[in-house]
Amino acid sequence: MIRESQLFEPFTEEPISVMNEAGEWVGGFDLDLEPETLTRFYRDMLRARVVDERLGRLQRQGKVSFVAPGGGHEAAQVGIAHAMRAREDWLYPYYRDIGLLLALGLPLVEIVGQSLGTSADPAKARQMPYHPGSGEFNVFTVASPIASHVPPAAGTAISQKLAGSGEVTVCTFGDGATSEGDWHAGVNFAGAQGAPAVFVCENNGYAISVGMRHQTGSDSIHVKAHAYGMPGYFVDGMDVLASYYVMREAIARARDGFGPSLVELVVYRYGGHSSADDDSRYRPRAEVEQWKRRDPLTRFRRFLEKRELWDDEREAATLQELGDEFTAAVKQAEEAGVPPVASMFDDVFADLPARLRKQRAELLGEG
Amino acid sequence: MSAVTMVQAVARTLDEEMARDPRVVVMGEDVGKRGGVFLATEKLFDKYGPDRVIDTPLAEAAIVGAALGMAVHGLRPVAEIQFADYVYPGFDQLVSQVAKLRYRSGGQFTAPMVVRMPAGGGVKGGHHHSQSPEAHFAHTAGLKVVFPSTPKDTQGLLRAAIRDDDPVVFLEPKRLYRAVKEELDDDPDFALPIGKAAERRRGDDVVLVSYGGSMAETLRAADALVEQGISPHVIDLRSLAPWDEEAVLSAVARVGRVVLVSEAPHTASFMSEVSATIAEEVLDALLAPPARVTGPDTPYPYAQDREYLPGPNRILRAVQRVLDY
Repeated sequence: MIRESQLFEPFTEEPISVMNEAGEWVGGFDLDLEPETLTRFYRDMLRARVVDERLGRLQRQGKVSFVAPGGGHEAAQVGIAHAMRAREDWLYPYYRDIGLLLALGLPLVEIVGQSLGTSADPAKARQMPYHPGSGEFNVFTVASPIASHVPPAAGTAISQKLAGSGEVTVCTFGDGATSEGDWHAGVNFAGAQGAPAVFVCENNGYAISVGMRHQTGSDSIHVKAHAYGMPGYFVDGMDVLASYYVMREAIARARDGFGPSLVELVVYRYGGHSSADDDSRYRPRAEVEQWKRRDPLTRFRRFLEKRELWDDEREAATLQELGDEFTAAVKQAEEAGVPPVASMFDDVFADLPARLRKQRAELLGEG
Repeated sequence: MSAVTMVQAVARTLDEEMARDPRVVVMGEDVGKRGGVFLATEKLFDKYGPDRVIDTPLAEAAIVGAALGMAVHGLRPVAEIQFADYVYPGFDQLVSQVAKLRYRSGGQFTAPMVVRMPAGGGVKGGHHHSQSPEAHFAHTAGLKVVFPSTPKDTQGLLRAAIRDDDPVVFLEPKRLYRAVKEELDDDPDFALPIGKAAERRRGDDVVLVSYGGSMAETLRAADALVEQGISPHVIDLRSLAPWDEEAVLSAVARVGRVVLVSEAPHTASFMSEVSATIAEEVLDALLAPPARVTGPDTPYPYAQDREYLPGPNRILRAVQRVLDY
């Protein structure tokens, strides 16, 4: 079922783009975003990049055990976040989505606290870095097993449909996730139920080292939507406005009861898969440099500069502000301290069973 | 109220809980119009409709995972896995997501849900319709595991599981589904505490501990012992996680001899845990080493469907060994 008055066609041959490399609007429809919204998008992209670089630095200093670099994903993630209703819609993210979570409004100190493993993390430092979540923002806590959050996302969307809540569930993942059985099980169930879900692939072309050619026989990810009775959108994920507008349309479609969709945002991962990866073993440097020339921040900055919404002075001031914000967040997160050892026994169940009470006493030397 | 079978007790309890709490939904393969392949959800579809009795795609990962996503969003799903043997595509969901959600989110998200599954052998179903996978779940931190053996216990424990704020794996011994009838409790709030065993017989010579399907053979063995003038003490664990250590340890400490009966394969089975705990806690009181009577460490066979199960004769031989020790 396709809604009327839609801006975008599913299953296009080429990725949907509304802004060219020169930063010119080529959308073919009226841009309806206020100047403050446009600069907010850019600021959130810049913030994602600054936080990514600074967390990387903390990792190299040994303060953070692991990072999953998000450079190159900023336009896609900021586009997704701003198409959602924060605290109302639900998000099932994956580990590379720090920029998305920040743009959605999660406090920086919580994100930093999560990666530092301190009590600034609302999840009590139970998970490795880059695995945040937020009950307050309806952001399902990130899990490592790839695509294992997809069936739960389908379930939340089905629950939203049953409740007639008007909420939408957005579920993000990388290209590798689409090979997992759980991905297909979850997307298929959402399709069968016509649930208000938007499945979003941040396709950076690599699952650690394995490229698309070895990941799937499909030429692209969005075509898999055919199999589940939903539209599949093919989008230039380095174009923040294309990412935003397509997500906005897919979310509106779901909210209005027309069912789920699959959105493929084509991006590139500038860094390795993680701080434990050496991407020079499988990616030619020329390829990385070629993609960096298409940088989503540079492109969008050109767009803003043409409208006199941004300049060198604002850039420098914003970078200073974001750097200071990060420094302050680290300080605050560190001051929160590490959760006490005994807290590792909390939240296994609502109540502490006798056996765990005994194990806690033994571990603390009281038994 | 007339007596009902175990599978009827499941259907009736689901009905009562759905009537009481609009958040309770039932989901699984064939649970709708078909009423479940064992009829455990019979008549629920007609009464509550497709929004609360959800026929799912044939995908256990989707069933378990979506139940979690529904629970997180405020529902109380009761998911059916058609046979416990088919849970494995959903096993990752249970282990990685369902069991750990409260913990890994620091209590921001919880998973109040039940995953029901018929388990155990004795129905000529071969290995893919006969296994007893409870040890996998008991080994997973964050899951409660229940395995009743009577209609009334099924009623009381299923109600407790649905009302529990944590995920419960609810195993049902399929060969006892229609074996006996029993009056259920008319109290709409009748629930049995998860983690509490039942004393089926009080005795002084040997303690027999079992649960689920093997309770039938254990009780037959106990009857035979009584005829021989031996006094067995019989405990039905009913819950495996948490399990009633107090009931087992106090009985074993008093009697000094224990036989543990379960049809699950021998190695690293749940009874291995019970046996180890007895050895750690009440060794001085033991008059003989704990004996386990279990299924062998083979895949569950087809032609030897009955012989695989620990029958009364094997149980009696084990009792004789601990008495003669």
